[in-house]
Amino acid sequence: MDDEEREGTELDVALENISDFSVVSLTGEVDVYSAPKLRETIKDLVEKGNYHIVVDLEKVAFLDSTGLGVLVGGLKRVKPHEGELGIICNQEKILRIFRITGLTKVFPIYRSREELPTSVKET
Amino acid sequence: MPEKKGEAFELEMPAKAKYVGLARLLAGSIARRINFSEENIDDLKIAISEMCTNAIVHTANGVKDTPPIVVRYLAGDGFLTVEVEDQGPGFDPECVLDKEGRDLLGKGFGIPLIMTLVDVFECDSDPQSGTVVSITKFLEAEKGES
Repeated sequence: MDDEEREGTELDVALENISDFSVVSLTGEVDVYSAPKLRETIKDLVEKGNYHIVVDLEKVAFLDSTGLGVLVGGLKRVKPHEGELGIICNQEKILRIFRITGLTKVFPIYRSREELPTSVKET
Repeated sequence: MPEKKGEAFELEMPAKAKYVGLARLLAGSIARRINFSEENIDDLKIAISEMCTNAIVHTANGVKDTPPIVVRYLAGDGFLTVEVEDQGPGFDPECVLDKEGRDLLGKGFGIPLIMTLVDVFECDSDPQSGTVVSITKFLEAEKGES
């Protein structure tokens, strides 16, 4: 990455496994500049056979419709594999965006990592 | 910019995704100086991010020789108006939303989100002259919320 590329919105992405879930932890801002990094992360996970994904938004300072679009895109990738894409978030300013767009009905939303099921549902 | 009195600021920036954060940051700083609450500053930042994203997407995402986009801020007595102008191909403003309020410009959530978060949303677009999208948020509306 050159100096010019580093000038945009910062988004750090970290991966870990909790129970049966691949947890994608984001730190920073998710917008039109940084969202492709999240899109690629989810795409890679699905291509490697990880269909139970949770995106942790607890350290996200900003999220707009581009970020929401990436999450919906991720959901579309895991659904054909009987998977799920959930959200961890307890920040009102982020949850509000999910409510306004009706996406609270689309994504499982966990208030903390402790709320994650200990195993995925058998289908 | 509508004929309202206030302090005006203007940001001309390349139509590139990496500068959207800059437009957002400036909006937040100005709104904070005229005493908007943090919650309403968050709303303004989302609206401006959506407006700039649309402008950049419609001007071919910063390819070489793409004209810049211009963000104008007017901070007045009890309001902040932000206008984003691009020189993209334009569209029919009547066709922005369908009857159910869904965004017809292809991104789904952007314009309905803006309309929910601000008090006034205006759009003027022409295939020859580009697009100007404007939003206004009032401090009075903020007081009414509490």
